[in-house]
Amino acid sequence: MTANHTELLSALVDGELQGQELDKALQLLNNNELTREQLQRYQFASDVLHGNTRDNQRIDLSASVAQALDEEPVYSDKTKEKVNKASVIVLPKQFWQQAAGLAMAASIGALAVVGVVSQPQNQLVPIRTVANEVPVETTTVATTGNRWTVGEAEVADRLNTYLVDHNEYAGASDVFSYARVVSYEAGQ
Amino acid sequence: MRIFVQLVLVLSLTLLATASFAESEAMKVLERMGVAAKQLSYEGVFAYQTGKNLQSIRIIHRADEQGEVERLVSLNGSAREVIRTNDLVTCIFPEGKRVHVNRRPLGRGFPSDLLRRLDSATPYYEVVMGQDGRVADRQAAELIIKPIDSYRYGFRLWVDKKSDLLLKSELLAENGNVLETFAFSMIELNKTIPDSLLQPQISGKEMTWNRTEPETGINMATKQNVSKWQIAWLPEGFSLVAQQNRLKANNGASVEQRVYSDGLSSVSIFIEKIRARHSHLHGGSTMGAVNAFGTILSAHFVTVVGEVPAKTVEKVGASISYKGDSEQ
Repeated sequence: MTANHTELLSALVDGELQGQELDKALQLLNNNELTREQLQRYQFASDVLHGNTRDNQRIDLSASVAQALDEEPVYSDKTKEKVNKASVIVLPKQFWQQAAGLAMAASIGALAVVGVVSQPQNQLVPIRTVANEVPVETTTVATTGNRWTVGEAEVADRLNTYLVDHNEYAGASDVFSYARVVSYEAGQ
Repeated sequence: MRIFVQLVLVLSLTLLATASFAESEAMKVLERMGVAAKQLSYEGVFAYQTGKNLQSIRIIHRADEQGEVERLVSLNGSAREVIRTNDLVTCIFPEGKRVHVNRRPLGRGFPSDLLRRLDSATPYYEVVMGQDGRVADRQAAELIIKPIDSYRYGFRLWVDKKSDLLLKSELLAENGNVLETFAFSMIELNKTIPDSLLQPQISGKEMTWNRTEPETGINMATKQNVSKWQIAWLPEGFSLVAQQNRLKANNGASVEQRVYSDGLSSVSIFIEKIRARHSHLHGGSTMGAVNAFGTILSAHFVTVVGEVPAKTVEKVGASISYKGDSEQ
């Protein structure tokens, strides 16, 4: 593997590739097993550096497991409600989890989550799908209330973080604006 | 005939002057309301209603020579809290055992810069006095704020006649429906607020802390990489009022926030480089009167958030494009 290839992979992990460079990186990944292994190492290093490995976070996984079980068709019929949620772009988790999965393996709870949601772990998906060809779970908006009309807690969490930042610039009722944050029905 | 024309002219001028005076008076009330929000100490309980949901929230606000501190606590369900100081916003979510700490943008006022923005809002809203009313056992003056188009919401505000504090606020849709209501049910003004009332009920132990920090100088040097975005459409009168880059400590992602405002309404555009996250909003989502629109562009999560109609965030979101290296 040349220094140029190494640099290309590094930029790919950082999401900085566009156009021809991205195509070149993808072609390299498709044709070269060593490159794929190198990419996994880079991604893992990046995740560790940025604190994305699950075992670095003090998380009570029981809630996640319970939620995943709850949403599994085998265990309940709540999945019918998904048609009432806003659309969510589901990126190829297996790409990101390939490396993070190594760290997650240390946690039985984490393995349980992976098992329940049945994510394939042995496939490397070209990053191009991240930008252009992401599979989309198309659903519609449900009723409004004190929570975001999205199906995934991860997306709702991100929107909440944005809402807190946006509140700094709220309109005429700004005295009350943070009421939206304290009223959020996170548990539902 | 000549006398008749003169009479019509005088009447027209009188009506114009009266309307202008009314709007001027309404703007003065709005300005005083902004000052009161920054200078008064108070403790109270207000209701927040959106759709069928009703929440009671306790608010404690202290303003003194040290600056301002404010604490909001949800009185229903889980005791979620937000504590704002001059430079930090701390959000405590007991049900998820999570604490979010955000450093406030540099150079920002507290609780907002409403006063500074009011002047720029006047071409896009009609602001008039309504009827006097009574809120939380206090006499209040009503302000009616109507937007010029359907890309922003209207407001009805009730301002305390004695203190100029905002006592009640309604956010109105284009058809006049009330989308959100905030209203004090009880308030005590100018009381001494001890430090103990501004402390969180929950200790930080056993909580997961997430911090968001402004980027360092070195990282800001690479700001060019995330500024190569073009927003082709904004509602009339919206202009860039703030821009900041933050680093999310939990995944190291750089998040650029751009805030566009017409003076009273605002939208934030968040551009976050995809790191290890898996899913993102595709299309619209709503929480109360706040709308969001999300998409993915050039390996970035792009999200528009604002207390504006859904069609506004959608139209703004659909107009965003990545210019890449060509834009400099």
